[in-house]
Amino acid sequence: MTATATTPRVPADSRGPRASRVGRVTGSPVLRLVVKRLLMAIPIMLGVTVLTFWVLSLIPGNAAQQLLGPEATPEDIALLEQQLGLDKPGVVRYLEWLQGAVTGDLGQSIVSRQPVSEILSQRLPVTGEIVLLAFVVSLVLAIPVALLAAHKPDGVMDRISMVVSTLGLSVANYVLALLLVLVFAVTLGWLPAIGFVPLEDGLWPNLRSMILPSAAIGLPLFCFYTRFLRGDLVDQMQQEEYVTTARAKGVGSWSVLIKHAFRNSSFGLITIVGLNLGALIGGTVIIEQIFALPGIGQMLLQAINTRDFVVVQAAVVIFALVAVLANLIVDLLYAVLDPRIRYGSS
Amino acid sequence: MSKRTATYASGDSGVSEGVIDPVSLGKPSRASAAQPGEPLLVVEDLRVQFTRGGRKINAVNGLSYELTPGSMMAIIGESGSGKSVSSRALMGLLPPTAKITGSVRFEGRELIGMPERDMRALRGGDIAMVFQDPARSLNPTMKIGAQITEAVKLHSDLDKKGAHARAVELLKLVRLPAAERRFHEYPHQLSGGMRQRVMIAIALAGEPRLLIADEATTALDVTTQAQIMELLVELQQRLGMAVIMISHDLGLAASYAQDVVVMYAGRAVEHAPTGTLFANVRMPYTHALLGAIPALDREPHSLFEVTPGQPPDLSALPKGCPFRPRCPNATDKCLDDPPLTEHEPEHWWACWHPVGSGLGNDPGPRAGTGPLDPAVAADDPGLADGPDEAAGPGRHHTPNGEQR
Ligand SMILES: Nc1ncnc2c1ncn2[C@@H]1O[C@H](COP(=O)(O)OP(=O)(O)OP(=O)(O)O)[C@@H](O)[C@H]1O
Ligand code: SF4
Ligand SMILES: [Mg+2]
Repeated sequence: MTATATTPRVPADSRGPRASRVGRVTGSPVLRLVVKRLLMAIPIMLGVTVLTFWVLSLIPGNAAQQLLGPEATPEDIALLEQQLGLDKPGVVRYLEWLQGAVTGDLGQSIVSRQPVSEILSQRLPVTGEIVLLAFVVSLVLAIPVALLAAHKPDGVMDRISMVVSTLGLSVANYVLALLLVLVFAVTLGWLPAIGFVPLEDGLWPNLRSMILPSAAIGLPLFCFYTRFLRGDLVDQMQQEEYVTTARAKGVGSWSVLIKHAFRNSSFGLITIVGLNLGALIGGTVIIEQIFALPGIGQMLLQAINTRDFVVVQAAVVIFALVAVLANLIVDLLYAVLDPRIRYGSS
Repeated sequence: MSKRTATYASGDSGVSEGVIDPVSLGKPSRASAAQPGEPLLVVEDLRVQFTRGGRKINAVNGLSYELTPGSMMAIIGESGSGKSVSSRALMGLLPPTAKITGSVRFEGRELIGMPERDMRALRGGDIAMVFQDPARSLNPTMKIGAQITEAVKLHSDLDKKGAHARAVELLKLVRLPAAERRFHEYPHQLSGGMRQRVMIAIALAGEPRLLIADEATTALDVTTQAQIMELLVELQQRLGMAVIMISHDLGLAASYAQDVVVMYAGRAVEHAPTGTLFANVRMPYTHALLGAIPALDREPHSLFEVTPGQPPDLSALPKGCPFRPRCPNATDKCLDDPPLTEHEPEHWWACWHPVGSGLGNDPGPRAGTGPLDPAVAADDPGLADGPDEAAGPGRHHTPNGEQR
């Protein structure tokens, strides 16, 4: 026991930089963190939008050509380009877009002429709902399963959860999506295969349309969280001396696991969940496509196809914003939950 | 003391500020279940075997010793000699991969094979433990108050308020400065010495009759080390609890313990009252340990690494005496296991050709030499009298538990 226990495992280290960032300097450290993070978001946003704009300009064809189709004459195209402002140099178009964006005006779709804010207000809730459902369900399931598995490493529960999570992680989520459709929509007919029912049409119909897409995203997440948390819990239980102290106090094995080990493991879990969120939003693109859901991902694909750079930019901004916010939330949670950071000492 | 004290201190509000009367520490002093004069703890032929990668590691190999109630005993030995494993074994703190055999009786109750339920009540209750590294032994995400209160609640019927008061009182007992304030702080806000005081406070929560301090001062600087040792001695005497201090440090053992058990390769090779042991070392291994320590310029926490030769491979122990490959006195006789025998009153050793017996390449007795001059040792009040229990001569523990 001591042989392994002497291997230094300093969880605080990995959060060292965060700790110093959240010093208790002037005013509320939380407020400082928020401001700092939002300021940091500015160069990130500029970077991704410039990059997106540039990449789009490399793809042959533009919105005018896409709108008019292959039959259009060069004159028609040139005319429409002029009307749409596509004849201006790329830098100018980007700056014009940026000018609007910083004042909160994301412009309007080149193709449909619909204001981007309106498009987003229709599409964001759909993607948001899928992601939220996937997150909540995967976490709510992963935590108890990981606790059960970690309580008796190599026990029955542990082995079952290991097999299931290995399987779940080795299947790509679009394959999983097709499998789910095959089983629950085609064979059993319990759930709709595709399509979205808005919440206004009733909670249950809405949820029914969301179950399969959320499961396709959430199942791999569940497997990932279970594996991660189980591993971290077992590490805590076997290597951390505070666990031995707790047991030496006479604390029961479940209490040691939940009150002591899980409390410490939860920090790692929060980090993982936060990091995931950014990647996850990107993952919705393919799932929304498979299930024909009118979310941000679908919007992005359509906009790329029609070279609707204004809408593409909007999607990119949203994705980047979500990633930044997810990071901010993780840091805030740390600041609130982890005493070592809350008090600004290492 | 605060008003809160009166709510649980059995109406005894006469306790004054500062020094805390041990009686007010909680439940009325419990009479020992064992007969007077009986040892508190009897370890007999304790064996712990790990299996790692198909290899069997015999971490403890027939360890035997007895502990007098209320006394302070040191267990010393090289790194890997099984000090920690044996003490964790008796508290049931080893991982399930450990195969434990032999017998450990605490106040007459057998601990080996005791159901987890009973063991849990004992852990932190009658037997408590303090670990080496106070930086890692406390839960970093819990306030120290909560960590003590948790222990208090487990071993008493106190309600939330009572447990809080008791925890603060324990912090005062271990002399944690500004106990009320520290109660609401996290471990990282405390110094190493303060954390170790908190650890001791946690250990005292169940009013243990045995406290095992596993290198409790090794991670601390010399000054803090002395303070913590003084605290342990004081608590031992005031609360009448027995203390097993596990240490690398012979000097520390000599200054504070009444008895010393020397461990080698997972067994006790010499066991005697401190004064007797240092005045009259008999086991060649103990002799080598003492010889390995230059008196003055020794590093305070240095390991005994200068003993010639390597500690034995625990998965392939030599036949007979485990010290044989390193022993200057070894003869063919040593291919037989030497039993741990009480050769002189209260002085046990496991050796066929002890130091001073004139056999082998005997370096001769080293009484009065070395860093631990008995004259100096006797100055220490802790060493003046050994355990009052007189042992019958000729008792012995054999390494495999049979009587010889
Ligand atoms: N869980 C385990 N699995 C396998 N071997 C172990 C385990 N725990 C301890 N050991 C081995 O048991 C032996 C005795 O270890 P122990 O920790 O008791 O030594 P120690 O006397 O306390 O040493 P130190 O002075 O370094 O603390 C060592 O060789 C160690 O590697
Ligand atoms: S003399 Fe023999 S029995 Fe004694 S320690 Fe040396 S090898 Fe062991
Ligand atoms: Mg040890």
